[in-house]
Amino acid sequence: MRQTVAQKIIARAAGTETVEVGDYVTVTPDYTVMQDIYFYKNIKILEKLGVHEIAYPDKVIAVLDHTPQAAHGSIYVDRNRESREFARRTGFDNFFDVGRAGLRHLIMVEQGFARPGLLVFSDEPNISSIGAVGALNVPISTEVIVSMVRDSNWVRVPASVRFELVGSLPPGVWVRDLVQAICHDYGGGDGLIQRCVEFGGPALSTLSLDSRQGLLAGMYHAGADTALADVDDVALAYVQERADGRPYEVFTADADAEYDEVRTWDLSALEPFVTAPPKHADVVPVSDVSGRRITQATIGSCASNRLDDLRAAAEVLRDHPVAPGVTMYITPGSPAVYSQAAREGLIELFTERGATVLSPGCTTCWGYLGALGDGDVTISTNQEHYPGRAGSRKADIYLSSPYVVAASAVAGEITDPRPLLAREGKPHVHS
Amino acid sequence: MSTASSTVLRGRVWKFGDWVSGDDGIVRFSELRNFADDHDPAELARHCFAGLVPNFAERVTPGDIVVAGRGFGIPSHPPAPMALRAAGIAAAVVESTDTAFIRRSLNAGLPVVTCPGITDAANEGDVLEVDLAAGRVTVNGTVFAVKPFAPAMLEVVDSGGLVPYLARYLAGNARA
Repeated sequence: MRQTVAQKIIARAAGTETVEVGDYVTVTPDYTVMQDIYFYKNIKILEKLGVHEIAYPDKVIAVLDHTPQAAHGSIYVDRNRESREFARRTGFDNFFDVGRAGLRHLIMVEQGFARPGLLVFSDEPNISSIGAVGALNVPISTEVIVSMVRDSNWVRVPASVRFELVGSLPPGVWVRDLVQAICHDYGGGDGLIQRCVEFGGPALSTLSLDSRQGLLAGMYHAGADTALADVDDVALAYVQERADGRPYEVFTADADAEYDEVRTWDLSALEPFVTAPPKHADVVPVSDVSGRRITQATIGSCASNRLDDLRAAAEVLRDHPVAPGVTMYITPGSPAVYSQAAREGLIELFTERGATVLSPGCTTCWGYLGALGDGDVTISTNQEHYPGRAGSRKADIYLSSPYVVAASAVAGEITDPRPLLAREGKPHVHS
Repeated sequence: MSTASSTVLRGRVWKFGDWVSGDDGIVRFSELRNFADDHDPAELARHCFAGLVPNFAERVTPGDIVVAGRGFGIPSHPPAPMALRAAGIAAAVVESTDTAFIRRSLNAGLPVVTCPGITDAANEGDVLEVDLAAGRVTVNGTVFAVKPFAPAMLEVVDSGGLVPYLARYLAGNARA
């Protein structure tokens, strides 16, 4: 059979037994997810083409995560109103408006749309975070509009690489550091391009589902089209709580499945890394950039806006305020994350330490909120750091883990979080 | 210049190196705040490669072809391929790129072909021919076999992009 998990999921969606790597096949997606800016644009395009409702509304999901709470003067005030009027007029219940909206990457798993063995078309490769529950993200960019009129589209079957995780993360080291180690090795080449990264190995189960999602969301920046993780009991229990009778199927790779590469990553060997501007392969140990003064520190994005990420930041901020001269923004990824963070006292803690908690969404990652000005230097858990990504081209963006970001916010400069964490004697917790 | 068939494209080469991103190389994200919007094509054309090639928009000839190295267009948003099209670029033939850029470009009516080895064979100003249906890239007498476009992709190219394709599909006139 020789089929990887990605091949099996595509074969199922194509209604065939097997598919070959590199082949073009026509599939029926289980869901198609898009963000608000594309959704508005697409309903306007369809209107001009004489289409006034979505053909398969149960299978399309639109989430208002890029432009929530549009400010005075914003073009998105009217656009979002038109989008919600469209949803109301056509009975499109899968429009996740402000209040129900978080980052669509999280909404997909929290609402039980992403389930094992499903094929999901999306507007973005980072949505491969849904591979943490065994759903295959197939990023088709602007083609998400096709799913609003038709129940099929083409995919090219990707080759896969297999990453086996062993060991355990040392104190002060986060799953982001693994992402960065992978970006360091692959981000400047094309070893992962147009491929699916399949994660497994004994250490996968030691990572929380939150961490697995953050890991998979970052594989795009190492070049990959998509990513999957083996579905263990933790992932399955999570899915079962949310499936609500909707079907799924757990696939495992055949013993003789073909991979372009199989590689073992030892989590114990990782250390805190920072990605310096401007490329994703520009990954250095935190000591290489320690002492660089910062004006902003942000925690959020599909890499690090889940509960465990906020808990990690809280470990650091527990007994230390944000330094004068630093603006710190923290973005919980969804209403569910926000309310649980409140229940655990994290919102109170962040606020008292001088950090500002923003509403769920992409926020600082594309400069919709907390935009950067000339000369700003930010350290962030966000996904992108090319010049001008979040405002001024004359601002520098460094990327790192919630530990490094929070420790740097406290120090006022980029700093290694490990001495601070050791001094507090706080245990390193992965729940 | 492009030939009569929309699946065979022939044009003069503009050559770029590795890792020219869509968001800060082809265009600059910071200068196109509304990254998913329809921009005025003339304005987009002015942004195309503005940080890399002085006066690119004035120097390009409609039908010219981009040859680029690894990671071309990664990462990107819709204005990147739209700017290439607006400037008159007929196709991009690259060492490697991701599926998001390939599909995003196709939807803008710009075929992007992955062709390992192309940067060794093609020089700036050469005439390059790409046959999308046959899966063939020819330059300076060197012929590369590449993955042919699927019928569904060829139909989008033939339509001039995704929106005209959808119009054709909804009118019942699409073959794929």
